[in-house]
Amino acid sequence: MPTIPRLARGLLVAGVMTLLSACRSGGSGAGPIDATGGVPVGAVIALTGNSSVIGQDQKIGLELAERHFAGSGAPPAAKGVKVKLRLEDGGSDEQTATNAFRTLINGGVAALIGPSLSQQAFAVDPIAQRAGVPVVGPSNTAVGIPQIGSFISRVSAPVSVVAPLSIGAALRQNPAIRRVAVFYAHDDAYSTSESKIFQQALQRRGLQPVTVQRTNVSDTDFQNQVTDTLRLKPELIVISALPMDGGNLVRQIRELGYGGAIVVGNGMNSPNIYPICQKYCDGLLIAQAYSPETTAAINQTFLSLYRQARGGAVPPQFSAQAFTAYQVVFESLQRLQAAQPPGKPLTALPAAELRRRLNSEILAGRYDTPLGPIRFTPEGEVVQERFYVAQVRMNGDGRSGRFQLLP
Amino acid sequence: MDATLPVQMVLGALLGLSVYLPLATGQLSLATPGFYVIGGYVAALLSTGVAALGGGEPSYPLPSLLLEMGLAALLAAAVAVVIGRPVLKLRGIYLAIATIALVEILRVLNLNLPFTGGAVGIFAIPQPFADPWGYLLLSALLLAAVCWLCARLGAMRLGRAQAAVRDDELAAACMGIDTAQVKLTAFVISAVIAALTGVISAHFLNTWNARQGSFDASITTLAFVVFGGSRTWVGPVLGGLVLTALPELLRPVGDLRLIVYGLVILAGPVVFPQGVITPERLQHWARHRPWRRPSPRAGA
Amino acid sequence: MDTLLQILFNGLSVGAVYALFALGYTLVFSVLGVINFAQGAVFTLGAYFTYLFIGGGVGSNGALAGLQLPFALPFWLALLLAGLAAALVSVGVEAVAFRPLRRRGAEPLLYLITSLGAGVILVNLIQILMGAEGYALPAGALGWLPVTITLAGASVRTVQVLLLLVAAVVVLALTWWLEGTRGGRALQAVAEDATTARLLGIDSDAMIRLSFAASGFLAGISGGLVGLSLSITGPYFGIGFGLKALGVLVLGGLGSVPGAVLAGLIVGLAEALVPGEWSGYKDAVAYAFLFAVLLLRPRGLLGRPLDTRV
Repeated sequence: MPTIPRLARGLLVAGVMTLLSACRSGGSGAGPIDATGGVPVGAVIALTGNSSVIGQDQKIGLELAERHFAGSGAPPAAKGVKVKLRLEDGGSDEQTATNAFRTLINGGVAALIGPSLSQQAFAVDPIAQRAGVPVVGPSNTAVGIPQIGSFISRVSAPVSVVAPLSIGAALRQNPAIRRVAVFYAHDDAYSTSESKIFQQALQRRGLQPVTVQRTNVSDTDFQNQVTDTLRLKPELIVISALPMDGGNLVRQIRELGYGGAIVVGNGMNSPNIYPICQKYCDGLLIAQAYSPETTAAINQTFLSLYRQARGGAVPPQFSAQAFTAYQVVFESLQRLQAAQPPGKPLTALPAAELRRRLNSEILAGRYDTPLGPIRFTPEGEVVQERFYVAQVRMNGDGRSGRFQLLP
Repeated sequence: MDATLPVQMVLGALLGLSVYLPLATGQLSLATPGFYVIGGYVAALLSTGVAALGGGEPSYPLPSLLLEMGLAALLAAAVAVVIGRPVLKLRGIYLAIATIALVEILRVLNLNLPFTGGAVGIFAIPQPFADPWGYLLLSALLLAAVCWLCARLGAMRLGRAQAAVRDDELAAACMGIDTAQVKLTAFVISAVIAALTGVISAHFLNTWNARQGSFDASITTLAFVVFGGSRTWVGPVLGGLVLTALPELLRPVGDLRLIVYGLVILAGPVVFPQGVITPERLQHWARHRPWRRPSPRAGA
Repeated sequence: MDTLLQILFNGLSVGAVYALFALGYTLVFSVLGVINFAQGAVFTLGAYFTYLFIGGGVGSNGALAGLQLPFALPFWLALLLAGLAAALVSVGVEAVAFRPLRRRGAEPLLYLITSLGAGVILVNLIQILMGAEGYALPAGALGWLPVTITLAGASVRTVQVLLLLVAAVVVLALTWWLEGTRGGRALQAVAEDATTARLLGIDSDAMIRLSFAASGFLAGISGGLVGLSLSITGPYFGIGFGLKALGVLVLGGLGSVPGAVLAGLIVGLAEALVPGEWSGYKDAVAYAFLFAVLLLRPRGLLGRPLDTRV
């Protein structure tokens, strides 16, 4: 059949043409960025897929920040800098996030906020690093993220500093605890690394877990593992999981009759757990990188913005961290603009130069955020001054509650 | 210039062909993501773990990449031979589900084994190319080679035996065709293609983890073949290219993106029950050569 | 002894869900010879419907934010209605993703993809309308029933017992319907041989719709029951169960009702017996079982011979 090879050649040519036409030229970095309507800043968060529960929290945080810093309520120094936020769906997988990052980088953004998951960060941050675009991670907590490169920083405190605090609190409440059971979502990068830290912290206090149970983020039924664990008569249960699976796990632990202390990881620091474990959330000990209870002015502003938008609800940590990431980028741009000689707007700089300066400015700055005062190490790791240990107190209706700070 | 999406499209087309080859022998095997993951781990582990391969250099040496591809192909072929013998005795949907089971077992293993990095996976995989264009060239070359193989199959004994087994296995056996061998050969080639694709993909993605091969991936790659058409190799290539690009091209639709994607994979088979590309349609186009009509001298 | 009983209960109650789910697949498979991948989404819908009918409000992220139905039904009524609503959706899936293909005599392979497309649409619709957040039926949904009861010294969640009871009732009812009524026997006739059935005057289109309705009803009420037992974790709630049940379906033997039940209970029990140190491998149990059984019995535990088409 001689037609087939010729046809194949024709198709190949057609294919290559399509490929070539699909690749339009993007921002090369030599010219200035297109700042019509504001300095473009990209955000890549999980709006679809099974992690979209994180993305939807982050989306509202970003939108509130955009409104706050652009609006009349902005600090007086906001002269001249307008930011145009470009939100792209990063999905819950690496491929979608890669495309979103590429789209935004080629679209000429000055900086990027995202992605939602640490696993995605390992895939997309190197791309931004090679392109010289600063990235501020709002929720990437795994070990090794800022080390990806000089342009990568994060406002989400790594697990190693946050996690051990709550173990201490549990032992202060009950020093007699000897038997500890550990649960963690072993298909989630965040929970896996956090549980390692938890287990080290337990070890340092001479506590050897009586059992370590591995769960999956998509699991809903934990009754076997809970039964198995409760047979070992634990006095403390330590959980590293995300809100949905963790909430279900807590509910089943309580329903099956466990009355002791439960420490949960930072992944469950979200009001999203209330509807899941309901009245059984009560008493959970939790280490927080963000506490809605802090009284700093910026947090009060953030709280009231969030309450307005969400009918009186309390913001989750993911929203606060996303707000903070936007704030970091915005304030850095503001300072850069203020340092420019008069008549020379920031946006006249070549894109590559603007991004480089913005990155140095991000890393050099200090920020007063809803998370408390933060700054960065030269590597891009966040230095957060305050962490919190809170205990969940559910209201009588069993559907809402609050994180009460422990001293 | 950005070639990210085209690279992903070409990788999708390769995976489509990997599902197509066993199907051309009448075997609905969905093991492709399993071998894809194996290939990716070979690349990730070797390039980050073996210093002699040059992972520390600013640009990862091409010979090392080719070595990874060779080793991944060997490993995948070995695994395919070992599991192919018993598995290919299954038929139809039983084979499909058994291969899905394999992919899931492999995923759970990868989450638990000590050297695969657990949920975090392996990251900081060194880059052989400075930008996606290098990847596009490499993957397009691989695709061209596989396409050439598929096109040649029609003229080769193996290809004719495949078609005979697909049309009627019993009759093929009566004609003296070693049907088990033919099925196994197609399965092994399919595994090798998937593993080679995995090697390129791991470097391209910068990171590799257990989630890369899952039930979802099995079904998505099957959709490539069904959408494009399972009766000629051109179909899966087209299906892989189009369906990989579709969710990205739909970005302007916003929130409704995945709903439109769902509508397309629902409507595609309804409108084209044989797939978009069928041998008849190809023959028709080849005879009329619509792309040559405007100017007879243009073209190839 | 009491822990063994508890493990038994856990295993059986999870297994019952797998079995119900697999029965839904089986009904459609026996009539059409294909698997309906939208079943997981219908299961999820069943849980959401139950939540809404019982008077639950929509959270703040979806397009329906703040919506609350003007009525609040008692749980059992809500569950029944949710089952019916899910059956309706399932019939809709048949009309959109199956019937047009059947009319054109397409190969069964295509149904896998069209039903997958329908599933993708349903899951994403749930997310757009209801948000990605989780929902839980109120703790007092069962009225006066206590949260746990003590059976022979083992403390067991009441929900688990109910789940088992409902599953048993459903399996009995289904068997009675299939074996003891005209409609059920007509369905079996279509499953056996559609052409002959047509000659006997059976409307095979109606029977196919009926099988989708029944499988949607099964998925809907199992979704509602699981939603009562565990909290609804978002639009992807049913996907994990659906995938597991796929293994269960094939393990039991395609098209076999007792096979699906037996395999469901076996997998549930096997998962329950995985010791803590090996909990990371729990998800592989069903598939490892399936794989081993298929190698020994290529048609599953209780499967009928399959014709050679793909």
